[in-house]
Amino acid sequence: MDQTTNALRGEGIALSFGGIKVLRGLDVEFRAGEITGLIGPNGAGKTSLFNCLTGAYLPQEGTISYAGDPLNGLPPAARANKGIVRSFQHVALCPDLTVRENVMMGIARNGSAGWLSAFLPLPGGTREREEMARSADEALADLGLPDVGDKLPGELPPGMQRLVEIARAVVGKPSVLMLDEPAAGLNNSETRDLTKVLRKLASTDLVMVVVEHDMDLVMSICDRIYVLNFGEFVAVGSPEEVRSNPDVVRIYLGSDDDE
Amino acid sequence: MSFWDSLLYDLFPLIWSGMITGCLYALGALGLVMIFKCSKVVNFSHGNVAGLTAFLVYGLSSGMLMSLSWGAAVLVALLAAVAIAFLIYSIISPLVFESDLTSTIATLGFGLIAQGVTLLTFGADIVALDLPIPRFAFSVLGLLITGYDLTVLAVAVVTIGALFIIIDYTKLGIAFRAISENPFAAEVCGLNLRSVHYFAWITAAILGVVGALLIVPTTFLSVTTVATFMLQAFAAAVIGGFASLPGALVGGVLVGVLMNLFTFYVSPEFSSTFLLAVILVALNIFPNGILQKVGGSRV
Amino acid sequence: MSDQATHIIPGQSVVSRLSGMATSGLTTAVVVAVLIFMPLLLGGSWTFTLGLCFANSIGVLAVSLLVRYGGEVSIGHTFFTALGAYSVGVLDTRYGISLWASVPLALLLGVVFGLLFAWPSRNLHGIYLAVTTLALALAVPEMINNFDVLTGGYEGLYVATPFIPGIEMGLQRYYVALFMLVIVCLAVARLRLSRQGMALLLAKAHPAAADAFGTRRVWARVSIMGISGGIGAICGATLAFSGSTVSPGGFTFWQAIFLLVGSVVSFYGLSLTRVLIGGAFVTLVPQLLSASGAWIPVLYGLALLGMILLGHYMPRIRKAMNRKAEAN
Repeated sequence: MDQTTNALRGEGIALSFGGIKVLRGLDVEFRAGEITGLIGPNGAGKTSLFNCLTGAYLPQEGTISYAGDPLNGLPPAARANKGIVRSFQHVALCPDLTVRENVMMGIARNGSAGWLSAFLPLPGGTREREEMARSADEALADLGLPDVGDKLPGELPPGMQRLVEIARAVVGKPSVLMLDEPAAGLNNSETRDLTKVLRKLASTDLVMVVVEHDMDLVMSICDRIYVLNFGEFVAVGSPEEVRSNPDVVRIYLGSDDDE
Repeated sequence: MSFWDSLLYDLFPLIWSGMITGCLYALGALGLVMIFKCSKVVNFSHGNVAGLTAFLVYGLSSGMLMSLSWGAAVLVALLAAVAIAFLIYSIISPLVFESDLTSTIATLGFGLIAQGVTLLTFGADIVALDLPIPRFAFSVLGLLITGYDLTVLAVAVVTIGALFIIIDYTKLGIAFRAISENPFAAEVCGLNLRSVHYFAWITAAILGVVGALLIVPTTFLSVTTVATFMLQAFAAAVIGGFASLPGALVGGVLVGVLMNLFTFYVSPEFSSTFLLAVILVALNIFPNGILQKVGGSRV
Repeated sequence: MSDQATHIIPGQSVVSRLSGMATSGLTTAVVVAVLIFMPLLLGGSWTFTLGLCFANSIGVLAVSLLVRYGGEVSIGHTFFTALGAYSVGVLDTRYGISLWASVPLALLLGVVFGLLFAWPSRNLHGIYLAVTTLALALAVPEMINNFDVLTGGYEGLYVATPFIPGIEMGLQRYYVALFMLVIVCLAVARLRLSRQGMALLLAKAHPAAADAFGTRRVWARVSIMGISGGIGAICGATLAFSGSTVSPGGFTFWQAIFLLVGSVVSFYGLSLTRVLIGGAFVTLVPQLLSASGAWIPVLYGLALLGMILLGHYMPRIRKAMNRKAEAN
């Protein structure tokens, strides 16, 4: 399959809040089979672009499409149905559900059990739940978390909670996986584990987008990197190209603290 | 009677008196909104506490508890309202910072206690509370204007004016606005959330007492009248958007007029149902309050 | 409203664990077994009162469910109980139709009106729903009294048609209530495991996350009120049958608040034993204090505050004690 046909594409995305231009007509292409990084200093517009792609914000101008299929105006829930899923910067797991159930929420929307089986022990609903639980356990095992299914998220360290979130995102075999600062709040060894997991997840038909502050993580896993500043792209290219780009160096030297 | 006559003799007087009572609903609503704006708590004890203090004025001035002059009785009642508000907020303040849902439920507990204390002290009977309101009346263009109307108007204008001046110009008022906009940023800037919350709760209690005392001449005083009065205040606050002080004012007047028109032209027996319908319709048409643009959710 | 309300409840995390489920299942089974034999030991009036306890427990469950799954508070559930009670009362007295038809009707009406009431505030902060239910609670007595052609006004209706003909009515009133309570508790326990129930919990904790995985906030806000309204109506239907009369006195503003108090007193619990505590509180306290009515609001208010403060401070005290124990 051609990498570029199954791409998440944005053309001329412009977003402004009350007259302040946050994104100034951005063209982006996130290709299948690649891990694409989105970096830039605080306030550059990374999160805004990310939210436009997930549907949390609706940009005033521009089109967003996946594999030629336009997504404009679709709310996040509808984009999820098209296989476009995300993780959250601040862990957004439900504290009342077990880890396994949280991961099951990644595929629960595909379920067909109706309201009747929500209240009555009908065999269809029971079977569906068992199937979802099995998929969730597989996803957890794939990410190196085989024994935590029955625990509550609050009982896990932050690094593991992050991995559970990623498990929830990938359990439905998404076509686009968007990660919002996956390394935020993780210590060094947790970040190393995360790097391994992300490399393992990359496959030929998956579009993976990572918004991240942690430069080492981005440089080590991304195939291509977009550098954003003041709502515009300063540089696009491989980690080597971006690293040697004088504009990027200036932006990141200007603020020696990228937090 | 011709159409114009009925307009003159029914509609205008109804609108006028609706606006007068509406000012009192607005006083109640302003208190609810002030508390909600800064602490995100809906104070369901507002009506019952105001009712208790209105009864206190009655008890202190009628000789039931004491025989004070009405001025002294009102002063004592105001102090009592301030003390009760202080006490309530002190007890629930640890909850306020944890969950607005839990603290909202807790205010219902205080409402129940205030209601019970009123019943225990003053009984369930209806009493007449006499306030020294000037008894005169004159007519302007066929509209009968009474001393009560003008008193309510004057007190409402002075109270609400004072409130807006305090909020706009005093240090506490500015802190209140800052915290209502963004509690986290305001606290980072060194503003004390707790003292602003106390300010809002105490101000709300005072507004509640004023509103409750002035509504009594039109309804008599019983355990339930002031609580019902406060439902109109809730409706006013909802119409105004629950987080807008001018909205509460407009909402109060609107509710007053609408209620008057409904009870006269349609049915006096379904007034609470009508109020419910008004709230539901208002939520649908002005989800962000009558003074704000429609659209966008504010959660 | 914020989702933290339910996190402070002691022992809550235990419920969702398998071991905890097994023990609580065992307790429930023992409690139900004891309740089945109760009428053999108790006199008629106590059997009657216990039946009312079961019915009110269902109402408490409806309110708790709304808090747990929706993060919302209702002080107007008497509307739904009245809906259910008058479905039973009217069908019984006017048409001689028994619970077989009136309970499904009650459920349907409760769900439909629950959805309708949640709709206007679907996009707004939870307090709007709370205020709407306040107006609802105050409107209920007015509606009942003014639709007296149907409702019988102040005099009310008397429910006399047996559920199963041939069995003594006093026993039926008890066992039907117990049966309804058990069924509703089982259905709610099932909901916790269903994809809809899990989606509701996620939407309550993290609306944005739920949205990103296909659960729309509006869907969550509206459907939990439909479920809670339906259960509220079943509570009313059971009250009507077990209490034998349906009159406006059972659906006052205070009754609506008492249901919420019952929910708080049971720490918003959804298990049979927990809701029984709430139901018993709502039923028994007014009976015990019937001679001194003015103390009821005071006592309820104190109980409400006491439980809330207990829920707030207990985990802290327990933590402090644990720390002390570890230090020793």
